[in-house]
Amino acid sequence: MDVFGSFALLLAFICAVYAFGGGIAAIITRHPLLVKSTRQSGIAACCLIFIATFSLEYLFFTDNFSAAYVVSHSNRALATFYKVAALWAGQEGSLLFWSFLLSIYVFSVLIAYRNKNGELMPYVGVILAGVQIFFLTLNNFVASPFKALAVPGANGAMDLVTRADGNGLTPLLQYPEMVIHPPNLYSGYTGFTIPFAFALAALLARYPGEKWIHLTRKWTMIAWCFQTAGILLGAHWAYAVLGWGGYWGWDPVENASLLPWLTGTAFLHSVMMQEKRGMMKVWNVWLVFATFILCITGTFLTRSGIVSSVHAFAQSSIGSWFVGFLIVIFSVCLVAYLKNRDYLKSESQLDAIVSRESSFLFNNLILLVSCIAVLSGTLFPVLSEAVSGSKINVGAPFFNKVNVPIGLFLLFLTGVGPLLAWRKTSLESLKRNFAWPLIVGLVAGVVIFALGCREMYSLICFSLCFFVTTTIVMEFYRGAKVIRVRSNASYLTSAIELTMRNTRRYGGYIVHMGMVLVFVGLAGVAFNQNVQKEMQPGSSIQLGKYKLVLQSFDSKPEANYTGLRLNVEVFVDNKPLMMLYPERRIFETNGETGTMVAIYSTLREDLYVVYAGQNPDTNLPVIHAYLNPLVKWIWFGGVIVVFGTLVALMPNRRAVLVLSGAQQPAPEPLVHGMTPSVTYREGHD
Amino acid sequence: MTKMRGISRPGLLILPVLLCFTGTLPLLSAFGDAQQPDHTHQLGMKVKCMCRGCNESAGGCYHMGGEFSGPCGTALGMLKKIDERIAQGNSDDLIVQSFVQEYGQLVLMETPHSGFGRVAWWIPAVALIGGFALVLIVISRWRKQLTPEPALARAGHAAPISSELLDRARAQAARDTED
Repeated sequence: MDVFGSFALLLAFICAVYAFGGGIAAIITRHPLLVKSTRQSGIAACCLIFIATFSLEYLFFTDNFSAAYVVSHSNRALATFYKVAALWAGQEGSLLFWSFLLSIYVFSVLIAYRNKNGELMPYVGVILAGVQIFFLTLNNFVASPFKALAVPGANGAMDLVTRADGNGLTPLLQYPEMVIHPPNLYSGYTGFTIPFAFALAALLARYPGEKWIHLTRKWTMIAWCFQTAGILLGAHWAYAVLGWGGYWGWDPVENASLLPWLTGTAFLHSVMMQEKRGMMKVWNVWLVFATFILCITGTFLTRSGIVSSVHAFAQSSIGSWFVGFLIVIFSVCLVAYLKNRDYLKSESQLDAIVSRESSFLFNNLILLVSCIAVLSGTLFPVLSEAVSGSKINVGAPFFNKVNVPIGLFLLFLTGVGPLLAWRKTSLESLKRNFAWPLIVGLVAGVVIFALGCREMYSLICFSLCFFVTTTIVMEFYRGAKVIRVRSNASYLTSAIELTMRNTRRYGGYIVHMGMVLVFVGLAGVAFNQNVQKEMQPGSSIQLGKYKLVLQSFDSKPEANYTGLRLNVEVFVDNKPLMMLYPERRIFETNGETGTMVAIYSTLREDLYVVYAGQNPDTNLPVIHAYLNPLVKWIWFGGVIVVFGTLVALMPNRRAVLVLSGAQQPAPEPLVHGMTPSVTYREGHD
Repeated sequence: MTKMRGISRPGLLILPVLLCFTGTLPLLSAFGDAQQPDHTHQLGMKVKCMCRGCNESAGGCYHMGGEFSGPCGTALGMLKKIDERIAQGNSDDLIVQSFVQEYGQLVLMETPHSGFGRVAWWIPAVALIGGFALVLIVISRWRKQLTPEPALARAGHAAPISSELLDRARAQAARDTED
């Protein structure tokens, strides 16, 4: 099966090369048969990558320890569930997984648009094939996951061998979230290839109008949704597995995932300027280019070993391939832009400074500054070593100092943006729209201050959360009110109807609400507490209102590890609340240790208990307990963000009515003769 | 009558306000005193654990994957040194500088504000100021290009609007009010 997979990968490479070369010829000759054959070659390349990926999974499931990659990342006792995750546990497999996910996107695009956008698709096909060729080059010739296990023989030649068992999967990956976090994150990274391909294709083909944006909007949102979910799942994994009490440490690999998310978010906002006003065409094209380039940069950082990270793969020479690819991408983008920049001329002008357009400009500025700060901070140790000869550390204090104010300003803009109208916002409208949110925000700030909050950033953050929440609720309320007048439905039903009529807008507000909840959770970090203590059975520690009593500790052998478990009873006001079982797992195959944190999570706070280890002198267990307020809000906010994005991806109900409602009477005019779609915009006029 | 309409009818907005407050009641009860680490850990948070196995501070070292999820031997040694120097009456700066002498600037958790380290702090500031200036320039250029709208025809003398123009205006209005 390893030869089969290897052969499939090689065939995929050949197909991708044909799709690329033949595609260019098809663009020049415009020969329909050539166009068709290159498209089918692209589809065949995807299918072959699927086959190769399933072949590797088959090697894992059948415990084929003649394959070096399987030996390195699996063992017989490994649960089947984690044998799926073993695919992306190492450099070679994860690069194949990258190709696999990219192929799903490419396959979907080539099938979905096979009879549409005839002028654009050959360009799209060539660009997608170009990206596939790069990754297939790595899969085939640089980091093949199908290498057979070989040892030096007596005569100096390499002898093929089969091991009885493998080394096992690293304990940090033996956690359910690691089965879903990397696929989400990689789907985000690879998904941004599609808008990149369409943007570059539109530029090269001088494709008229904003059609490429309409075509790629959903793909961009899908990629963004995966990236968001991936980042949050990664944060949750770090929180629940690493045992340090936090969820975001500004690690270079974490930062790498944040960079394309920031530019992708900027693009999702600024793209509306182009759709509605024909503005910011150059900016949007470069945002898409930057997002894709940052995806590749992030992959380069993770895999080259250029920056030290707990998440990075082993140091390897693969980085130079990525540097080469980045140079090629940037050069192609730059040449395409310089040759066709007249095609990107803005159509409209700004009518007023206080307008939705301006708020988007500032939103983009802030997101880009944050991206620059994170990127420069991540690369600064390397830069400082190259320039000054000594490495300067850029850690969490730097990133927090720079990004916390930026994040708060962004939160403020989240509230301000929707309240401003396109083109021009009158003073009267400003007063009407901002009065209540400002009052609520200020009152909330005063109340929270009176309750004892003295951390400035947290105080500002909480106030802004109230401010933004009020703006969002007002938007729903105003729209729902109009529908309610017409239909006599409840506010809730009207709000749902409102959302379904304009899923993109109200889905976007739901996403904003989710982000507010995430910020609420982040603001809680200022109030974290922790305590560490060596304990013997019967002894206790107090943390906040919780009293933790160690009842006993034991060890239990499992199939793949030995679990050392503490039985900790939690009391509140001397009344038993629950039992917690923090655990350490010793994996026999590789001798590594894993932590299983015990968390009692409420909306108010998380009681987070870690079995830190044993004191070697006394053999007594050491407990590290944390009290982390409001953490649950982050995960809940993440769910809302994903939900909002899914809502925004749904088609508008109004569009369905138009298609099927030829015989239906025209909607009755509402108050002052306005149609519903105009009337419930009153907050924006 | 539209002036301050929202404020003159507060009853209509009671729902969002109530939602805001009831939804965050658990949040309000979460405040406690922020925990202040002891002096040794406070200083330990300023220097990096030099075990090369983690990227944490000496005060916050949890040494993932190690036999002990807490300060590793190196971090404990650094904390012990801090303890001793505090006992000797050394100032905080002097204690931190003693680690810089021993390990170089890499030991500092916070990027230094002097030497080449300043560049790290300048980059976001320059990006912000430069970006802000760029936004202002873009806005001003867009405003300059704005062509004055034709004067409104006097009532009774307005030329009839073609249906095509009307359709275009409607389409534009629909786009403007969609999101």
